[in-house]
Amino acid sequence: MKRYWLILALTAITASAQRGGRGDGKAPNNPPPTSPVTGNAAAGKALFSTYGCYACHGSNGETGARPFVGRWGNLATEQVFVTFLRARANVAPLAPSTSMPSFSESALSDKQAKDIYAYIRTFKSTAPELKDIPALNAIVEAAKQDKK
Amino acid sequence: MAKSTKTSVGRRGFLKGAAGAAAGAAALVQTTPILEAQTPGKGGGAAPAGGAPAPTQAQLDRETGNVRPPAVVRTITRPGSDLMVQTIRDLGIEYVAANPGSSFEGLQESFINYGNPPNKMPEFITALHEESAVTMAHGYAKAEGKPMLALLHGTIGIQHGAMSIYQAYYDRVPVVMLAGNDPDFIAAHTAHDMAGMVRSYTKWDAEPKTIDEALIAIQRAYNEAITPPMGPTLVVLGSEIQKDNAPNAKIPAYKPPQFVTVDGTRAKEIAKGLVEAQNPRIAVGRLRTPEGVKLSVELAELVGASTSTTATGGPMSFPQRHPLCGPGADTAYDYTLGLEAAGAQASITGPALAKTAAVRDTVNIGFGGTVAGGGRGGGGGRGGRGGNAAPAIEADAEASLPMLIEEVKRQLTAAQKTRIQERSAKHAKANHEARVTAIMQSVDSKRAGWNGIPISTARIYAELWPLIMNEDWCLASPSNFSGGHHVQLWDHDKPYSYLGGQGAGGMGYGAPASVGAALAAKARNRIVVNIQTDGDLNYAPGVLWTAAHHRLPMLTVVHNNRAWHQEFMFVEYMAGVRGRGDDRAHIGSTLRDPYLDYAKMAAGYGMAGEGPVTDPTKLSAALKRGVAAAKRGEPYLIDVITQPR
Repeated sequence: MKRYWLILALTAITASAQRGGRGDGKAPNNPPPTSPVTGNAAAGKALFSTYGCYACHGSNGETGARPFVGRWGNLATEQVFVTFLRARANVAPLAPSTSMPSFSESALSDKQAKDIYAYIRTFKSTAPELKDIPALNAIVEAAKQDKK
Repeated sequence: MAKSTKTSVGRRGFLKGAAGAAAGAAALVQTTPILEAQTPGKGGGAAPAGGAPAPTQAQLDRETGNVRPPAVVRTITRPGSDLMVQTIRDLGIEYVAANPGSSFEGLQESFINYGNPPNKMPEFITALHEESAVTMAHGYAKAEGKPMLALLHGTIGIQHGAMSIYQAYYDRVPVVMLAGNDPDFIAAHTAHDMAGMVRSYTKWDAEPKTIDEALIAIQRAYNEAITPPMGPTLVVLGSEIQKDNAPNAKIPAYKPPQFVTVDGTRAKEIAKGLVEAQNPRIAVGRLRTPEGVKLSVELAELVGASTSTTATGGPMSFPQRHPLCGPGADTAYDYTLGLEAAGAQASITGPALAKTAAVRDTVNIGFGGTVAGGGRGGGGGRGGRGGNAAPAIEADAEASLPMLIEEVKRQLTAAQKTRIQERSAKHAKANHEARVTAIMQSVDSKRAGWNGIPISTARIYAELWPLIMNEDWCLASPSNFSGGHHVQLWDHDKPYSYLGGQGAGGMGYGAPASVGAALAAKARNRIVVNIQTDGDLNYAPGVLWTAAHHRLPMLTVVHNNRAWHQEFMFVEYMAGVRGRGDDRAHIGSTLRDPYLDYAKMAAGYGMAGEGPVTDPTKLSAALKRGVAAAKRGEPYLIDVITQPR
């Protein structure tokens, strides 16, 4: 059965990839939140790895299925983030999913969640300006050439 | 079939009757009548009650090298397998991939020695696993639009190849397979109905009993494989008919298959629709061969139709950067044609896989996907979005194209030609602008994580594209696990630009499919790119040796996220919704402790490579070295530690 679900997921992922994977294709560049941080970023770094947050958000929060650097949607404040973690769908699905799972307090304490938040808040965009990336400029220039 | 000159005692019986070592030696040269050699009291030991007889003195002498082997009396001047090879050669089949097996030793010997000079086409490709051999043929067929051979050993070889056969079937890809069957040798390697093991997911099979039947079966297997719905076919060849003398057998004249086309009346209607439309649209799905792609371009240019393509999702579709490819200057299409694409006013699509599955998939192994209207059963590709789609016309689009083209030419007036020229120019301008806009948006999104560590998958595709855009290239590996960034960044202009997915989502596909594509590329001054996911490579990495041994132009870039990452995410979600936390979700779906070193793996198989590359600023130089190697006709592997996706 595993492969069946895999195919379903592949279809969804491919469709997502063909749409550009991240909405309108523009790299969002909203400034990071400035709300207070009470957690321990060093402890959060370990949790970010142990709990596999990087699996969907990339090691820097910039890549993968759900990047958040530049978006910061549910990361406006520590409390918004903790509430978000607790409020995810918690009914066991029949089909495999890569959605954000729910994190109950028994699975991830408030302190741990705040530590993760503190670590996330250290993330910064590593994206250079387009003019500073030769490969991407070469791609644009090639696209501008008429092709027969 | 010529009568065998062998004795009536088979090798199985002989092996049962003699001590192993002596039997092996005697079996090398079958000059002494075996029946006599095993008869007690003629110079050999008596058989113990209820057991095997002791080896004869003659056998012992041969085993210890005390006597010269007697002269060969069984002279085969024209073995059946030579004729099989000639038949295969006449079909234009370039390669045969196999892992050796005693059940096809006769055929293998002919593949390598038949003719003067000895045979080189089909070239014998050494595979380290039957699964790799079949997937090589899968990748080759997707790149070239025609089959190569996979040669399988008896029951065990077929079973090794089974998953790959299933994928080729699901992917509707033509692969011709031959399997040996030696019922007199090792019982565990034979079966009464050998093809029965994979019948549910092969299109056609046969087990001919004579050499004449075998030659016909090989030709038919080829025809069945390339006729829609295309798929793998299997001919089981007994060792006797491979080895027997066939002095009088003749290779039958080959008759190409008949493809179902639209009828003349329908062709006229479609041509009229295209010619009289003010803004026709052609949706091109996955055609059969490069010739079909060429014909689709000819038709689109004749009528000045904007076109859609599936070239970013798989092979054999309309060139993406053709001036007519894109939404065009006006998206209010007033006539739509689908070529292997459903949903148009006239959609020509080949028969669904369900047509063959209905009679062959007796155990319903297709997970429902072969049911008519489900999964990949119907014609691929998107429809023309004309808003008033008609039921599909069941015919082969590629075979129908010459009729449509001729009919369009016949109907076109001078005034219409002028109008079409003007329309085509407008489409070209609009499509070019749309393409540049899309690229500008895409490159902006690819900046995200550009300097991140581990390296972003987008950066791999983005750094690689300028290095190959002016080469003749083929991306042979599926990209769905690697972000699919080529879809937005690269130009898919050749029938083989991107070969698409695995077929049935089975792992162990990327590297062998790329090797198959590289076989196609080798003689055509083309390079193959394999963005290789790490989990997938570990199913049958021996195929790297095949690439090195046959010096194939293939660049492998390992997307090394140290996991079967999709499954990892699934388990994470499951643990999360059950409230148990995600700290143990990595168990069973990651490749840690120890990490694998793919550059060393490649070196072990004789392939040049480097890595692990962890610094994004070092990536471009590594890719340059890799592309240079592939252009020299050498395989090269770069292990890149990447973001998960």
